[in-house]
Amino acid sequence: MNRHPYVRAYMAGVLLPNWLLLVVLVGLTVYGIPSPFERIIMFPLIVVPNLWGAWNTLYIAMALKRRLPLGLWGALLPLILLPLGLVLQRLLGLELFGWRDVVTALPLLPVAMGVYYLAWRHIVGFFNRVVGME
Amino acid sequence: MTDEKIKVLLKAALPVAGDGELQRDLWPAMLQHIGAVEARRVRFTPWDWVIAGVVAASIFISPSLIPGLLYQL
Repeated sequence: MNRHPYVRAYMAGVLLPNWLLLVVLVGLTVYGIPSPFERIIMFPLIVVPNLWGAWNTLYIAMALKRRLPLGLWGALLPLILLPLGLVLQRLLGLELFGWRDVVTALPLLPVAMGVYYLAWRHIVGFFNRVVGME
Repeated sequence: MTDEKIKVLLKAALPVAGDGELQRDLWPAMLQHIGAVEARRVRFTPWDWVIAGVVAASIFISPSLIPGLLYQL
């Protein structure tokens, strides 16, 4: 457990601001965000990182390691992110993408799943090993 | 209690260290440990290269995918 102390220190330090941003997101969703730009960056800056953490926690908590490789588990995440992004943009009063755009952007889904598969298999898996979770 | 007496008692209580030779060779165990650490490392399989190639080709053919990918990464 003494390997990669700086990575583990960074991971511990980055957690709290990520959680605080979730509180900010809820507050801004309730009270409204004046700038359209801020509304747009909410999703990649707040929702995606926290969802990655929750998805990894779920993998460990449900002991899925025996049944499903981490890469495949990560590749499923875009299937949740896409509808979640659509719901969130409605909640934030944005009209960035309609259902027609989603159909047009469907080719993005397998590409995103491929990127996620590689990222989760090699990078998230590495971090899990660093903290002794694999 | 004299120093001589303490010396005798200590010698009787502590086991003889012998000539310092190990009972067994520790190097195979060390190699096994290194091998176990290596085995835990996930390697880039041919299947991973195929996925990476497909992703790269998709982005090359359709660069408009890049903003969408960056938005959700």
